[in-house]
Amino acid sequence: MQTDRTDRATLKVVIVGGGTAGWMCAAALSRLLDARAYEITLVESDEIATVGVGEATLPHIKTFNDMLGINETQFMRETQGSFKLGIEFRDWGVMGARYVHPFGTFGEPWGGVDFQHHWVRARLAGLKTAPLQDYSYAVAACRANAFEFPNEDDKSIRSTFAYAYHFDASLYAQFLRRWSVARGVKRIEGLVQEVVQHGETGHVATLNLKSGASISGDLFIDCSGFRSLLLGATMKVGWQDWSKWLPCDRALAVPCDRVDPLTPYTRSTAQTGGWIWRIPLQHRTGNGYVFSSVFIEEDNARDTLLAQLDGKAQAEPKLLRFQAGRREQCWAGNVVAIGLASGFLEPLESTSIHMIQAAVIDLVNLIPTPGEGRRMDPRLAAEFNRLCEIQYDRVRDFLVLHYTANQRRGEALWDYVREMPIPDSLTQKMALFEERAFLPDYKYGLFSRDSWLSVLEGQGLMPKRYDRLADRLPIEDLEEKLRDLKARIDSNVSTMSSQADFISRYCASAAEPLAHPAAAE
Amino acid sequence: MMSAPINNVVVVGRDVALWLAASVLRTALAASGVSVTAVELPSQLRPGDVQATLPALEALHNRLRIDESALLRATRGAFTLGQNFSDVSGATPAFFHAHGSYGAQIDSRAFFPYWLKAKGLGLTVALEDFSLTAAAAKHGRMLIPDDETEVYGRTDYGYHLPALAYAGYLKALAVRQGVEVHQALKVAAVLDPETGDIQALDLEGQRIDGQLFIDTTGAEALLIGQALGVARESWRTHFPADRVLTASGPAMDSIPSYAEVRAWARGWVALHPSQTQTHVIQTYASGLCGDEDALAMASRISGLTLSEAVVRASAPGRRAAAWARNCVALGEAACAFDPIHGVDLHAVQVGLVHLLGLFPVTGEFALERAEYNEAMRSQFERLRDFQAAHYALNRYGGSAFWTRARQAAPPPELAHKIAAFRARGDIPPFEDETFLADSWRALLTGHGVTPDTYAPMIDLTPPEQMKAEFQRVLGFIKAQVQRQPTHDLYLQSFCGHEGAAHG
Repeated sequence: MQTDRTDRATLKVVIVGGGTAGWMCAAALSRLLDARAYEITLVESDEIATVGVGEATLPHIKTFNDMLGINETQFMRETQGSFKLGIEFRDWGVMGARYVHPFGTFGEPWGGVDFQHHWVRARLAGLKTAPLQDYSYAVAACRANAFEFPNEDDKSIRSTFAYAYHFDASLYAQFLRRWSVARGVKRIEGLVQEVVQHGETGHVATLNLKSGASISGDLFIDCSGFRSLLLGATMKVGWQDWSKWLPCDRALAVPCDRVDPLTPYTRSTAQTGGWIWRIPLQHRTGNGYVFSSVFIEEDNARDTLLAQLDGKAQAEPKLLRFQAGRREQCWAGNVVAIGLASGFLEPLESTSIHMIQAAVIDLVNLIPTPGEGRRMDPRLAAEFNRLCEIQYDRVRDFLVLHYTANQRRGEALWDYVREMPIPDSLTQKMALFEERAFLPDYKYGLFSRDSWLSVLEGQGLMPKRYDRLADRLPIEDLEEKLRDLKARIDSNVSTMSSQADFISRYCASAAEPLAHPAAAE
Repeated sequence: MMSAPINNVVVVGRDVALWLAASVLRTALAASGVSVTAVELPSQLRPGDVQATLPALEALHNRLRIDESALLRATRGAFTLGQNFSDVSGATPAFFHAHGSYGAQIDSRAFFPYWLKAKGLGLTVALEDFSLTAAAAKHGRMLIPDDETEVYGRTDYGYHLPALAYAGYLKALAVRQGVEVHQALKVAAVLDPETGDIQALDLEGQRIDGQLFIDTTGAEALLIGQALGVARESWRTHFPADRVLTASGPAMDSIPSYAEVRAWARGWVALHPSQTQTHVIQTYASGLCGDEDALAMASRISGLTLSEAVVRASAPGRRAAAWARNCVALGEAACAFDPIHGVDLHAVQVGLVHLLGLFPVTGEFALERAEYNEAMRSQFERLRDFQAAHYALNRYGGSAFWTRARQAAPPPELAHKIAAFRARGDIPPFEDETFLADSWRALLTGHGVTPDTYAPMIDLTPPEQMKAEFQRVLGFIKAQVQRQPTHDLYLQSFCGHEGAAHG
C-alpha cells in the first residue's frame, strides 16, 4: 500500500441555515469526514429566527448523539431534556379515546407468531383479556410516569422498549453549534442576499451576503427551512403538495410553566380543527395547536390552545405557516436540501429530527469526494433522492392513518379526512389489519410493525380474524400466558423510579437556564 | 356473514415443490384444522438432477423438524459454501460467491470501502480472500460457525441434495404428518361454471374436492396456466439460455464444498458435487448450440464421463399473478428462473412463507391474494435482478451468447443498483431482497465492476490501522481454515459418508 489520501484538493461544503438541521448536518459532517478533505462552513443569521420550539424525537436520535460521542447527561442538562417513551393520543379516533404509541413492543411472539394474533384470538374466543395497551411495557411505564434505562438482558421484559428525548430544539442547535465549531466548522454570521449560479451548469457558485462578503463552495446544503432558498427558490425544484391528505397548514406554539408529574411521553390531543401537542421539558412545557385554516379560524385556535394549557403561558402564541409535502428531489445539481427545505410533515409522530438525521447520514455516505468528485455525480444524487422519497412517503402514510381512521362525526375537518381518498398503499394496510390483524413489514423507512399496531388499534380498528398459525398454541395455555405477561409488566413497572426522580439524579438542569457564554458570542 | 373457513387444501404437482408445500402447510396449519391432500403426478426427475439450496432453507427444515444429519444420510447430499465462477478460456479471472460475509468491520464500519481504498492504493488481495467461507471452500473444508467465527462475521451454507432422494424424503415426511396422497397420471381441473374458481380435480374419474388449490406442476402450470389462463411475462431478454441439460458424473475423490460454474463460448457448465455423484448442468441457447454438442462440451468441460443426460427447456419468466382465484402457484408454475444461482427451491420457500403469513381464514381472501401477489412480484423481481446482473455484466468474450447477454438492457432497479455501485461502491437497499449486500458486492466486483469512489468516511481510519486489520483478518482466516475439518471428513463423521455406501 502506498500513502493515504493526503494533499488532494478539498471539497468546500457550505451549509445555509443554522437551525437544528444545519447544525446536525455540520456536526455529523465534521465528525464523520476527514477535515483535510472537507472544509465545512455554515452561514446563519441572527436576523432569522429558527422554527425550533420544544422538540419531541424518536429513539434513533440517541444513535446520532452516540455517533458524535456526545455525553448524554451533559446533553440533557444543556437542552433541558427529558426522557420520552412514546406519544399519547387523546380524542383521536373518537372523543374520549386514549392510547399510547410506545417506543416498544407489544407482548411476545409466542411460537413465532406475532403477539396481536394471540391477543385477537383470545378476545374472539371470549377469554379474559386486558386491552392491547396493557401488554406493552413502555405503555405501562408511560402511565406510571416512570423512567429507567432499558435492561440489556433481552430476555427481560425491561428490555422491550427504547427511549427518545424531549428537548429545547434551539438549545440543541446551540449545543451542536459549540460542538461543531470546536471541531473546525467555520461559522459565518450573515444574511444571504444573492445566490449566484454557474452560467452553464446552473449549479450554485457563490452566496453574496448582506455584509458584502461572499462565500463560494462546491456543495451547498440547504438548511434554510421553509424558504428553501437554494433548492426551491434557486434551483426551482418542484413541490409535491400533500395537503389533500394532510390539510393542516398552521401551528400556534406557546410555552407554559412546567407542572407535575413530569410525563415521559409527548401528548397529542385531537381538536375540532387539528390537534394540540404537549412536550414536557425540565424547565417548561412546550405546547402548540396544529390546525387547518380551512376548518378553523386562527383566533379560535389561539383561544382553545390557551384554554387548554396546564401551566401559565410564558409568551404570546407564535404562528407558523406551512404546507404538507416534499420537493420532487432533495438533491439537485450541487444543492442538497435537509430538513424543512426538503419537505414538511406535521410533527404528529415527532419525525422532523429523524428526517434530518436520516438525510444527514445518507449524505455522509453519498457525498462527492474531493478532487475528481468536484464534478457532481448524478448517480449519487439519484440514490440520495430515492432514499429521501422512501423516508417521506412512509411517514406520510402513517400520519394519514391517524386522520382517516376516525369516528369524530359531525366535525368538518374530521368528516373530510375520514371520507377523503387516501393513498392505495394505506387502504390495503388498514384493510389487512381489520381483516386478519396483518401488519405492514418493511425494512427501510419508519415505522415498525409495533408502531403500526399501536396506531391501527388505537384509532379503533379491531381485527375480525387472526393468523391461523396462532392456533398451534393450545388455547388452554393462552389465558395463562396473557395473565403472566401482564403480571410481569405490572410488577416490573411498579419498581421503576419516576421520571422526575430519575432526571434529578441523572441530568438535572440548573433551575434557571443560564445564558450559556457560547450562545452570546 | 362470514363464509366457511378454508380447511381443505389440495396440492397438485410433483417432486420437491409438491412435497415441500404439502409438509409445510400441514405442519403449520393442522392445529387450525386444515387438511392437506396431495395429488402426485409422475416424477420428472432423473438420477442426475440436483437441488442446490440457499442457506435460508435450514430455517424451513427446522420448522419441519428435519434433522440435518438424517437428511444428508438419506439423500447422500453434500454441503455447499458457495459458487466459484470461472472462465474456461482462462481470459477472465474467477470469482467466488460465498454464503458468508466478506471481511470484518474496521473501526465499526463496513469492510468493503476499505478494500476498495486499499485496492486503489495497490492492494492485490482479492475481495474473496477476505471471506472465511470462500477460503474454507477453496481449501476443501467445511465451515462450522461457532462463537469465534461469529465475531468475525456471517458464515452460512446450503446443500447439494440429489433431487430424487430429497423428494422421496419429503414425501415420507408429508405422509407421516397426515397428508392424504393420491397418485394420478392425468389431472383436470373442474371449474365452477358461475365463479370460475376451481371446484375440484378430476383424476380420470376420481374427484378430489378442495377449497384452496396449490399448483406445483412446474412449467406445465396445470391449474394456474392451463385451467385459469393466467398469462406469463417472459424474461427472455435478460437470459440468453433456453436449454438446460442435466447429467450425472462420478463422484470426485475429494468432494468439493462448493459448486463450480464454468463459462464457455456458448453457455456455461456447472458441477454440483454430492456424496455419490457429480451433478452436471450445461446451460446454452438452442439457436447457438445443438444438444449433442452441449453434452460433449459438458463432458469435456467437467472432465467427467457423463450419463443420464436429459435436456429441458429453460424459460425464465413470471406468472402475472402467482395467486389467481383460489389457486396459488408455487415454484416454476409461478416463476421460472435461470439456473445460474440455483434459486428455484428458494423461490418455493419464499412463496410458502408468504402464503403461511396470509393463509386465508375464510373464502373471502381477495385482500390476502392482492398482498401476496404484490409481495411475490417484488421478491421474484429482485431475484431476477441478481441473476440478470450476472449476464449483463459478463466479461466472457465476444461470442454471440455472451454478447447478447451484455447487450440486454437491465431492468430499471438493476440499472440503478449498478450505477450507484459504480459511483460509490454502495449497494442501494431494496425491500424483498434474497441476496444480501455481501452477495451483491461479490457478484459485481467478481464481474470486474470497480467503483469510482469509496465512502469517504473511512479516511478517518489511520492507514496503519487499516493495514493491521487486513493482516489480522487474513491471519484469522488462515488459522480458522486450518482448524476446520475437510468436507470429506465432516461428511463421514457427520452422516456416515462411505459407511452409508452399503446401505
